[in-house]
Amino acid sequence: MSNAFAVDRAFAVIAFKRRLAYKAQWLVALVLGGGAMLVSMAMWRELLSGGALSGYDWDAMRAYVIIGFITATMVFGAADWHIADRILDGHVAIDLTKPVDFQRARAAEYVGSMFSTVPTVALGVLGAWILFDPPGPASATAGVLTAVSLVLVFPLAFGLTYLTVLVCFWTKRYLGVMWLREALLAFFSGMMIPLAFMPSWLQAVAWALPFPHFTTTPSAIYLGHVDTAGALGLLAAEAAWAAGMWFGARIVFNHAVRKVTVHGG
Amino acid sequence: MPILEARNLTKTFRRPDKASGFKGAVKHLVQRKYKNYTAVDGIDLSIEAGESVAYVGPNGAGKSTTVKLLTGILRPSEGTVRVMGRDPHVERIPNAHDIGVLFGQRTQLWWDLPVEESLKLLKHMYGVSDADYKARLARFDDLLDLGEFMPALARTLSLGQRMRADLACALIHAPKMVYLDEPTIGLDISVKDRLRAFLRELVDDGTTLLLTSHDLADIEEVCERIVVIDKGAIAYDGPIQQLKAHYITTKAVNLFLEGPADVPALAEKFPEYAWAAGEAPSEVVVTYESNRFTTAEVLGGLTAQLAPRDLSLSEPSIEDVIRRLYAGELTK
Repeated sequence: MSNAFAVDRAFAVIAFKRRLAYKAQWLVALVLGGGAMLVSMAMWRELLSGGALSGYDWDAMRAYVIIGFITATMVFGAADWHIADRILDGHVAIDLTKPVDFQRARAAEYVGSMFSTVPTVALGVLGAWILFDPPGPASATAGVLTAVSLVLVFPLAFGLTYLTVLVCFWTKRYLGVMWLREALLAFFSGMMIPLAFMPSWLQAVAWALPFPHFTTTPSAIYLGHVDTAGALGLLAAEAAWAAGMWFGARIVFNHAVRKVTVHGG
Repeated sequence: MPILEARNLTKTFRRPDKASGFKGAVKHLVQRKYKNYTAVDGIDLSIEAGESVAYVGPNGAGKSTTVKLLTGILRPSEGTVRVMGRDPHVERIPNAHDIGVLFGQRTQLWWDLPVEESLKLLKHMYGVSDADYKARLARFDDLLDLGEFMPALARTLSLGQRMRADLACALIHAPKMVYLDEPTIGLDISVKDRLRAFLRELVDDGTTLLLTSHDLADIEEVCERIVVIDKGAIAYDGPIQQLKAHYITTKAVNLFLEGPADVPALAEKFPEYAWAAGEAPSEVVVTYESNRFTTAEVLGGLTAQLAPRDLSLSEPSIEDVIRRLYAGELTK
């Protein structure tokens, strides 16, 4: 492995270890995420007892809710506060004296912290599979493409989170920005309710944003709501958002770094 | 060619200008006003390779801001900086490879991990070979006793241990230029002594050092040159010995006489010296101009005539000179 990737790996591993340092966090994520999944399952079972709604029957919804659990656990369990805190308390000054690309280092840390959610995801999915026996992917190809979509959630989540964290350079606060991002993400991704249940104009708004790729894209591919060409198109859009946010963040950071005003020692 | 060169280095910050209290807060919400505040004001600074420079000044003088400008953290509002020929803000990453930075008030350790994990990550960041890493750690262990707390979580360290670990982090890649911003702040005397000995060794090895500190013993023991900054501008720049020679023009002897000291009578008898009562009734402080009298002359004359039972010499104090520089009593 080249030295450049060794540094990325080291950042990711250290972020993962930091998560290991707080073991109760895993349990809390499992209880909260698993609890939310159970509540969601119960609600949809009742709602869909009379038959399919907006193209979702109980079989499809079971798989949808599990995919929503996977993406929500990965995205909401990552270490956005670590990045925000460093900007807010001035530790960014230390980061800027290190011979690493700030964004790339934070990306490696973020992905490392996302990997720390894998045990929670694995346990949650295993439990849900045993309890609810969801249907498998629409086809083997759909299964593979769903996995690709879930992998793309890593850079996508980083881009979205990093861009919102960079806002701290101007706002000097993070909580409100985080709440706004998480509310938009939960609503427009389809984690809360599938986009198909929304009016068409709202769906159009959602699809003009990166959020649907967090849940709707992998579940649509998994359930066969799109054919292979459609799935590839969705994956291309997901990758384009990830790349766009990566390069957009570079521009924002170059402006933000001029805002560094760490006074005193 | 200097290793570091700053010309007309200036940093201006914009600060909110709002009145105190609820009314002021509301007014600022609807009618925002800002004031410009110049933290660093046209500094010219040139440092040659291998120099050890103390950068001192009162609180708020602009020391830390200067360090942040020199290390590439902040972008100058005006002026230029070149460190090893690079603009540290524009060429931040190549510059960061060659410098080591320690901010005494901010740790670079990963707070919830063992110290050795932070050092390993830095090893990767700087591309330090296994052999160099081991050799440097062994040296740090010798000089700073790192081994005892390498496996400890950073958040469990005492301040002294934390500072020693941070120093190792700043130096693990053997940087050519090192900036230490208040490295001994809050440390007890034994840890300070150990750090100073380590820094002296670093300087002897040829590392260029810029040290800011409020502890003037750090400066006298480690540095050869001193730059005094006040209100963002340089008030003095030169060798510490020269500063002493130039501004410390008096010396003092404390005499302990057999009986109570009669200060007016002594002042009348020896009008060439300044006399003052000491802390004890039998103690008297004699101050003389060091460019007019040698210490041997003064002591010879006084001991022959007053036969004191004891005496002590007051060492020239750089602290007093710097205090007077801060107060504007002395000029460049």
